[in-house]
Parts: sequence; structure tokens; C-alpha cells
Amino acid sequence: MTALASRDAIHTVFGHFRDELDDHNDRRERLIKSSRDITNASKKVIFLLHRVMTEDASEADDRVLARRAAANAQDKLRDIQKMFAAIRDELAGDRFWRYQRNVSPGLQEYIEALSFAHYLERERMISYEEVQKTLCAQDGTPHFPLPVEDYLLGLSDLTGELMRFAISSISRRGGRSKASQVCTFVRACRVDFESWTPFFRDLRKKQAVTSQSLEKIEDVAYAIAVRSSEYDLPLELLDDIVERTVISSGYGIAHSEDRKRRRTDDLGGDDD
Amino acid sequence: MDASNVELINELLDKDVEIREKIKDEVNEFDKKTRTLCGLLNKIHSTPSDQIPALLTTVHPVLDSCRDTSAAIAELIPPNQCWRWKDMWTNSLRNAVFAATMVHYLESGSLLTLARVGELLGIKEEWSDRFTLSAEDYLHGLINLVNELSRLAVNSVTLGNFEEPIKISTFVKDLFAGFAMLNLKNDALRRRYDSLKYDIKKIEEVVYDVSLRKLAPSAKASAAVHGASA
Repeated sequence: MTALASRDAIHTVFGHFRDELDDHNDRRERLIKSSRDITNASKKVIFLLHRVMTEDASEADDRVLARRAAANAQDKLRDIQKMFAAIRDELAGDRFWRYQRNVSPGLQEYIEALSFAHYLERERMISYEEVQKTLCAQDGTPHFPLPVEDYLLGLSDLTGELMRFAISSISRRGGRSKASQVCTFVRACRVDFESWTPFFRDLRKKQAVTSQSLEKIEDVAYAIAVRSSEYDLPLELLDDIVERTVISSGYGIAHSEDRKRRRTDDLGGDDD
Repeated sequence: MDASNVELINELLDKDVEIREKIKDEVNEFDKKTRTLCGLLNKIHSTPSDQIPALLTTVHPVLDSCRDTSAAIAELIPPNQCWRWKDMWTNSLRNAVFAATMVHYLESGSLLTLARVGELLGIKEEWSDRFTLSAEDYLHGLINLVNELSRLAVNSVTLGNFEEPIKISTFVKDLFAGFAMLNLKNDALRRRYDSLKYDIKKIEEVVYDVSLRKLAPSAKASAAVHGASA
């Protein structure tokens, strides 16, 4: 082969590589963008769920609230499922595992939001198959195989949301029993997840976070138990003490302020 | 979490562990072979050019035996999961690409294409979703090749072959021009591409030394110097 022919051959070959690499990089960029959009939309669902659960102080029955929250979230979750359907083709065949790392942040956040709504509605953990079912086309074929890792990491983040939920609702009527229920649930999650930490490095890190949030709520529960035993007080007054505890522990501030404002509103004769 | 769900997760994870173990065994084999290949090819730096063909005949059987490993790995990978497990054999595969392209360069002075490397390593088209030679791995292999060629340029002069550096210079410059056509992201390939210029510099210095002292056949040397200035 003459030098010139070899030069031309190399030129042609690298021309193909350029197209291939460009195609790959562009697709990756698009998927990273979609994943980010999914993350944002999922975060909004989580905020929505927190909001619905705590905003209506007049509604005494949590089950009603929880069902309302879950119903509101369902629409938004369906929008996110449409976003997954939209990237289905980009992830077809062997492409899914090529770009799995690029889509997994969005996927995990979605699983967190989905499992939170599921917990509020049914008070149980969403199963692997139930998650996969939400990520299927109309004909029941999955958009892509759900990685066990993303499923577990998404659920591990759920524990953090549950803690936030428990602490912010602790000052509500019946919030204390709710909190202890969540506490039991999270403790059980932590035990379940422990056996899977050797498989995924990220899960070990998240387990540490779960332990921390568990400790936070245990501390709050402890403070409440100690103080409520000191005085023999009616529930109303106890709620005020609880509220102060919550504020001093630095959690649920936004919600307590929200509550205070609402109480002033109530005093002002606003019969909402 | 429900017991049935826990069981399902454990089942899925056990299956993955099993696949991983099996792949690891095959990759170890692959790794051994590519190490042998690199070891054999390291001898080119101390082998006079007339004995290179003999050396290469010892390399060929090892290179051919990589076909068995490719087939064994492809067999283990579930459909569509090539990219899930690929990290396990990427290194060995890149070294195999290096060995194949180096042998071909020494034999013919030209570049062995990706398709031909795939054929040589016995990677079949129909495995594309399980075991494939990607452009990225091929390009990494080529960078290994350039790294070794810059050493060879120096060492061939020591062995008294003054023509080799000039051939290498032309070949590597063509390759570099090829790499320059790519829009590389800020990844490992980009960093290694950036380092190619040091290899080229080294080769150029050798060519310069050789031409200056009129050690190389003059026609080719002037052509190379001409090429360098172009």
C-alpha cells in the first residue's frame, strides 16, 4: 500500500469514527438532559406530597389527606412516565446499558417520588415489579429493564423523605403515632437494605444517611416522650411544646411557621 | 418490604453475581493472553529487523487463540447486555487491539481496520449486543500502538535500522491527522489523544537526528522531512 493510499484509507476510517462518536455523544447529551428533567419533575412530586400532607390543618383524618396527596401526585407521575416513554427509542436494545449511568439519576428520583406516593396511599413499600409496571408501554412491554440498583437506591432515598414527613407532621394531631409508624417502617427498610449493601457501593453510603435520619426522628420522639411525661397536660398544650421541640431541632421549620400563620388566620376569623 | 419482593431482588442479584463470576474467569484467560502478547511484542525493541518476521510467527498463534475467549465471553452475556459488563474486559480488549494492529503494521506498514481487528479476534457481527469491538476501544488500542511505535523509532536506530523511524513518522502522522478529525469529549480518549503529540515529538526528533547525520537513505529521508514541513 502506498503512503498516499494509506493516508486516504485512514481518513475514510476516521470519518466513520467521527460520525459514530458524534452520534454517541449527542445521544448521551440528550439522555442526560431528559434525566435532569425527570429529576426535576420528580422533586416537584415529592414537594407536592409533603405539601398536601401538612397544609390542611383542619382535616383530622390522615388517610383522607394521604389519598388526596397520592391522587394529586398520580397525574404528575403519569407525566413523568410519558417522559420515560419518550426516551424509550433512544434506549432500545443494547443502548440501555450503554447509557444506564446517564439516565439513572432521573430514574432513581422518579422511584423515590413513586414510592413515596405509594407509601402514603397504601402504607407499604412498592415492589420491584410494581415499579417496572409503571415503566411499560401500553402493550405491557417495558421501556427498558429496571436495574435492581436503581430500584434499591431510589427506595433508599425514600427513607429520607419519610423522616422529613414524620417530623413535619409530628406537631399535627395524631402526628406522634404517625411518626412512630414511619419510624418502624424505616427501621425495617434499614434492616432489609443492609443485606444488599455488599452489592452496591452507593447503597452503603445511602444506608449511612438512612441511619442518620432514623436517629433524628428517634431523638425527636425521645424529647417528646420525656417532656410529655413531665407534665400532665391536655393535648392542645402538648402540641405547642412539641412544636417548640421541632423548631429547636431544626426540622420542619417551614411547616411550623406555616402552621403558626394559619393559626393567626384562624384567630382573624378566616373560616377556611 | 414484602417477603416475595425481597426474594425476587435476591434472585436477580444472585443471577448477576453468577454471571459476573463466570465472566471474570474468562476475562482472566483473556488477560493472560494479552499479557503474553504484549510480552512477545516487547521483544521488537531488541530484535533486528530481519528477525522480526520470525518473532511475529510466535505472536500469531496467541493472537488467534483470542477467538476462543471472545466466543466464551459472548456466550455468557445475556442479550442486549454488552455494555453492562464491558468494563470487565475493556482493558484486555484494548491490549488485543494493540497487538493485532502492531503485528499488522510490522508486516505491512499499514493500519489494520476495526473490522479486520474484529475478524482477527473472532468477534462476530451477530454478537453486537453481547460482545463487540467499539470504536472507542479500537481507538484506545491505536493510541497504545502509537506509544509503542515512538519507542520503536528510538530503539530501531539503536539496532542500526535508520529507515524505520521515517516509516513510523509517516504512519503516525497519518494516524494523528485521523484522530484530529474526531470531536472528542473531555474523557479518557481525549486525554490520551492530547498525549500523542509527545510521542510524535519524540519520533520527529529521531527522524531529525537520523536525517541530519545522513544515516537514512537520502530520498526517503528528504521525503519525510518534506512531509514534516508540509
